[in-house]
Amino acid sequence: MTSLLAAGPATRRRRVSTRVWRGLTYLSLILLMAPAAWLLINVLAKAWPHWQWSVLWTQLTSTGGGLRDQILGTLILMIGVFIIAGTIGVFAGIHLAEFARPRRFSGRVSGPLRTASDVLAGFPSIVLGYVGYVALVVGLGWKLSLLPALIILSIMVIPYIAKNTETSLRQVPTGYREGAEALGMSAGYRLRKVVLKSALPGIMTGLLLALAIACGETAPLIYTAGFSNTLPHSLTGSQFPYLTYMVFTGYNSPETQYHYLAYDAALILVVIVMLLLVLSRIVVARTQRHSESSRSSGGGGLRARMRARAQKNEPLLGITGAPPR
Amino acid sequence: MTAVGGVAGDIPATPHAESVGKPPLPKRVTDFARRNEERGWRSVAWVAVILPLAALVFAITVLAVKAAPVIGHNGWYFLYGRTWTYGNQGYGGGPGARFGAWAIIWGTIASSVIAILIALPLSIGAAFALTERMPTWISRPLGFTIEILAGIPSVVIGLWGILAFAPWLAKNVYPHIASVMPDVPVLRYFRSPTGSGEGLLSAGIVLALMIVPIITSTTRDLFTQVPPLPKEGASALGMTDWEVANKVTLPWVRSGIIGATVLGLGRALGETIAIAMIGGAALRIPSTIYLPFTTIAATILTQLDGQLANPQGVATLAELALVLAVISVAVNLVARLIVSRTGRVGAPVGGA
Amino acid sequence: MTKLMGTTRLTRGMIAVSAACLALSSVVLSSSAASASVRLPSSGVETPTGGTVSETGSTLLYPLFNLWAGGYSQKYSSTTIQTAGTGSGTGISEAENGTINIGASDAYLSPTVVSANPTLKNIPLAISAQIVAYNVPGVTAHIKLSGQILSKIYQGTITKWNDSSIASANPGLTLPATSIVTLHRSDSSGDTFLFTTYLSKADPSGWGTKIGYNTTVPWPNAPGALGESGNSGMVSGCKATPGCIAYVGISYLTQALQAGLGYAALQNGAGQYQLPTQQAIAIQAAGYVKKTPANGTISLIYGNIKGGYPIINYEYAIVNGKQSSSSTAKNIRSVLEWAINKNYGANSSYLTQVNFQPLPSKVQAQSLKQVLGIS
Repeated sequence: MTSLLAAGPATRRRRVSTRVWRGLTYLSLILLMAPAAWLLINVLAKAWPHWQWSVLWTQLTSTGGGLRDQILGTLILMIGVFIIAGTIGVFAGIHLAEFARPRRFSGRVSGPLRTASDVLAGFPSIVLGYVGYVALVVGLGWKLSLLPALIILSIMVIPYIAKNTETSLRQVPTGYREGAEALGMSAGYRLRKVVLKSALPGIMTGLLLALAIACGETAPLIYTAGFSNTLPHSLTGSQFPYLTYMVFTGYNSPETQYHYLAYDAALILVVIVMLLLVLSRIVVARTQRHSESSRSSGGGGLRARMRARAQKNEPLLGITGAPPR
Repeated sequence: MTAVGGVAGDIPATPHAESVGKPPLPKRVTDFARRNEERGWRSVAWVAVILPLAALVFAITVLAVKAAPVIGHNGWYFLYGRTWTYGNQGYGGGPGARFGAWAIIWGTIASSVIAILIALPLSIGAAFALTERMPTWISRPLGFTIEILAGIPSVVIGLWGILAFAPWLAKNVYPHIASVMPDVPVLRYFRSPTGSGEGLLSAGIVLALMIVPIITSTTRDLFTQVPPLPKEGASALGMTDWEVANKVTLPWVRSGIIGATVLGLGRALGETIAIAMIGGAALRIPSTIYLPFTTIAATILTQLDGQLANPQGVATLAELALVLAVISVAVNLVARLIVSRTGRVGAPVGGA
Repeated sequence: MTKLMGTTRLTRGMIAVSAACLALSSVVLSSSAASASVRLPSSGVETPTGGTVSETGSTLLYPLFNLWAGGYSQKYSSTTIQTAGTGSGTGISEAENGTINIGASDAYLSPTVVSANPTLKNIPLAISAQIVAYNVPGVTAHIKLSGQILSKIYQGTITKWNDSSIASANPGLTLPATSIVTLHRSDSSGDTFLFTTYLSKADPSGWGTKIGYNTTVPWPNAPGALGESGNSGMVSGCKATPGCIAYVGISYLTQALQAGLGYAALQNGAGQYQLPTQQAIAIQAAGYVKKTPANGTISLIYGNIKGGYPIINYEYAIVNGKQSSSSTAKNIRSVLEWAINKNYGANSSYLTQVNFQPLPSKVQAQSLKQVLGIS
């Protein structure tokens, strides 16, 4: 911190270095935004000329058709993951936040269970798909079908839901819990009516993130759900349709219609992801209306902080990190 | 209205009538019932939280069991050998099968390293650009775009990459880079031939694009946690933006960024679909940075369904998957170590 | 009680014996019932029991199976055929695993697979061929290439189109100095199997010993070599890469021509350069009819047949002879009988669209026999 106030070449160098610095940051922003924008525009531009609304309700045939069952399949996968992974993940988060042995720090602490959860979050999805194939599809004889796919996808996203649930629960002020206990509420009642309700926006964003991950996976689904043109009627035994496979294989198909369908599927997927993102922002914005004043929630409070973040347009979550696909 | 507090475990008090509208009457619980209920919640939660660990252990066990028959046969050559062949007597394996996965492992590491080298400066720069001196009407949609980028399926990114981005790079960018490169040891790698766009550099750039949102969002989050007092103090003392960033902000967030970077690295290592589409699928180390290569994940994806009838092939692919799993777990553990060890850099300066 | 115990022991014995008899007879009856109950109607095609028949595998057969799926469902609306093109290796694996009903493959089953799965059959459905396509701008005539030249190209020893070996095989043809970019299949491919068989037979001391043939091979270090997925990937990849050379199934000939690619005249075992005309393919096929065994396992590539096109093959349906249920077996039999019947699937209206040829009658009879054995 020497020669801060000195005039002369030092000042000019510093002025130039600041301008260069600012230029570099803007340049990196442009270098980042340009491909991202190009990607979104390209998907839209390639899909729109051949887009027909009938794609949404026509079945896929060997030579063309629509994506009706594929869309339904992706939605079913998302709902299934929401239920299975949502339940397990929220309970896991509850354990990590409420029932784990109390620690001295409130920051990121280690512990085999939390470590395992984080390691699972970064685990390669193709390896999980392979394990799912060996253990569920062939081992249990379920064949390529919906159930193995649901199980593997759920395993993949449980760490994210657990992490978000834990973070949200930790930010519920202890005053709430102590007050509830003082009032004589049992553990379950306290959890249901007081703690979880306060942590709901964070949990919801975690669930929506999990849905976004689930709808965009391809590699593990190839080896657990296979692929199909039509929606089957059973949980096991028949292959299951979903959108991402169409994107993966359609552009290379000898059928020209499939090239268009590949881009249509890509467009639909992007729309789904955008809807999920918008939904998560709405969830945060709506629940802030029901929040108590910041004074009673022990300084800041979860919702006030999320509101502040949303206003400053900062990311709503911590390390969001979508998993390897 | 019974008294609040008093004897615990007694008849429970109803909550204050003025703080809730119409309180539902809590059921009459005794000590035992309450303890059992809490125990119930605890056990369910415990089962739920043990599942990730169980899943990990199960996955690694399955891989080890599947790979066991051939680990001895493949030997150490598996890790350093360069020939990958299923045998030369027709489909189904047989004598003459040799599995040297060095080129595949190299490809995995190389593409991830390139991705990190590109993504890290871009993310930090973009994070600075977004949080400092940028009007909200610009930074909001840009921030939204980055969040969308985080959520876009990698297969869509791969589609754009193979049909639009990689050909554009091969036509407009690579030839220019290759033409100015001198024939010296490291830079030699950037000379011609530049190929058709499907290759290591294209895959690395696309991977960078995928991990940038992770690093950027973490960095922005960390920036908000930097206490304003040191920053404002430095500004007040006359430090320029660059000096404030370099001497105050960055040291504060350095470990967090390292943690996020290593997590991004973990993602890049396991990325499957985008590399399968853009990488070019050549089972060897490319002679220039623009030429086709492959990674472990992409190899497993494209080879597995064809090898299911060949037990030797399946077991070897399981061994390959085991290598990837070990690398991924190691990288993740290192990330957690770094993040946890240096969780808070420096003491908070007066009421952060 | 004593009376009960006594009768119980006797009754128990009787029950045991009669149960054993029943079991034995049901086994005997079912096995003979299986072969006895398969009776072909006059049309030559059994009526399916309805449902979905899933097919996956060779991308070479995929366009034809798509056409067949449409035609078959028109006749039997209760049953749909679901098709996919994922590569011959996948077709074989998934048929073996039971995850798919019919696996399509350009490659016959290797001895290793057969010994591991004795009930697995490879049933010839049609005759197809493989072309060698290239993207050499400015050359309109068909370039003559031999197996030896192709072997050197794919090994990286011949790197330019105007190399002396290519030029001496093509007197009078001006070839540009463009670099050759070799394309190969990245998935487990029957086309790779066919192409590498050709290279192994035409260059036994070189390619045959060093690399051999398989659905996936360790491709040597030719400069800039690319891997593509599926036959359409080969066509689109070659279109985008000037100077490329690629092996493509003949069902993609129209696409290749539309993409502006040319195709080569390949040298056969008799030393002649042949284009993949229908006549040349028929001559090559006729040369192997006598040698085709009852299980259909034979390579039709190369061989000393004058006037024959060297890379042709039977397109196989890989099916498990023991199906989980008789209705599935019936559906599969129906589809395959329809496919090889000259009035239906093997009609020229389908086959000419993909440049395939129907099976010679002797081979067709052998295939039918294999189909009837599926239960």
